[in-house]
Amino acid sequence: MLNDILLLNKKHENAAQTIYERVQDELTDKYIISISGEVETGKAEVAHMLGRLLRKEGIRVKLLHMDNYYKIAPLERTAWRKRHGIESVGYNEYDWEVINRNLKGFKEGKLTTIPCVDLFTGQIDQLTTNFEGIKVLIIEGLYSVKIEEANLKVFIESTYHDTLEEQKLSGKEELDDFRMQVLEREHKVVQSLKPLADFYLDFDTASEIFHY
Amino acid sequence: MLGDVLLITEKHENAAKEIVPYILKNKKDKFIIAISGESGSGKTELAHVIAKMLRKANIICKPIHIDNYYRILPLLRTEWRKKHGIQQSVGLSEYDWDTINKNIEDFRQNRVSTMPCVDLVTEQVDQLTTDFNGVDMIIIDGLYAINTPRVDLSIFIELTYHETKKAQIVRGKEPQNEYRMQVLEQEHQIVLTLRPKADLLINKEYQVVEA
Repeated sequence: MLNDILLLNKKHENAAQTIYERVQDELTDKYIISISGEVETGKAEVAHMLGRLLRKEGIRVKLLHMDNYYKIAPLERTAWRKRHGIESVGYNEYDWEVINRNLKGFKEGKLTTIPCVDLFTGQIDQLTTNFEGIKVLIIEGLYSVKIEEANLKVFIESTYHDTLEEQKLSGKEELDDFRMQVLEREHKVVQSLKPLADFYLDFDTASEIFHY
Repeated sequence: MLGDVLLITEKHENAAKEIVPYILKNKKDKFIIAISGESGSGKTELAHVIAKMLRKANIICKPIHIDNYYRILPLLRTEWRKKHGIQQSVGLSEYDWDTINKNIEDFRQNRVSTMPCVDLVTEQVDQLTTDFNGVDMIIIDGLYAINTPRVDLSIFIELTYHETKKAQIVRGKEPQNEYRMQVLEQEHQIVLTLRPKADLLINKEYQVVEA
């Protein structure tokens, strides 16, 4: 995304380190790591720190942010959701055709065009990038765990209740009644997808905690 | 740029609070703001905060980072500069001014434009295609941004690289070594020559002063 602000701290670095330790011995070419979790749980921050870490290790890595793949542009989304009802909120809001096309571009090492939301203009720009030589793809987003071909599916164990402070700080969305309904709905959908993950991160200890 | 880390603090917010009313008072169609200053002086942070405040005033302002327009790719730049000598190579000519000027003209003409976009994680230059139709203002930030022709508001940050050393280490964009210090000194000399072009100065206490 353009003009997004990341609030990075030590816990994101620790989480990235934990993920790296999990994957370092199995990083085959064209490896995909997905990072899922509820709103403002630190997905983009962890993705960023993991990207930095991999780069330091000499591994070529690119980040994709699923917030760029909504079918409806940011400024129109609230009105669209109100019109279609709260059940319209969920992973079908993503343009999976484009997501899959971009994943294919990565796998094939090709020149690929990716949507790129500018948070200031509210427009969706197009970013053309060359995936040739890029070994690892980190893809973060609410519902990124749905990407079947991801080699490692990371899930961040916090709920939107925990992250209300972060949400206020990021100032990305107004926390009004409707927004709270959206968050509750996203929370339900994200939690329902949780079993698809294979690696769970808890920020209290920044170490892996196995679900059941 | 992709993967850039901005450290926005109160001083950027306070400076922006002074600058935005100035912009609103002097605004015209397709207004161009430029911010120059040395490495780590907060150009990108300030540009970001100004654009955000303008959006609250219903003005669509797109930030443009001149650092996206280096002719030599990030991975090759150090080697190139060492090969050609720091005094000879570091400076205005490192930037692709033809493309910078073309993109600014695209903005003025409400066209769809393709601009370079450095990904700091892959250290590649991607291409970003955007539609300038509907974009009211652009805010250009970079070492030599106020060198751009026909800028409506030029802002110059007076902090030097000595004062901003801490900020540079924290953001970790560049390795801090002897070679880097030489580059910073050369950039410092050239940035200083642009100071006379400024309409607004941001002094060492980060206060906004008319030039």
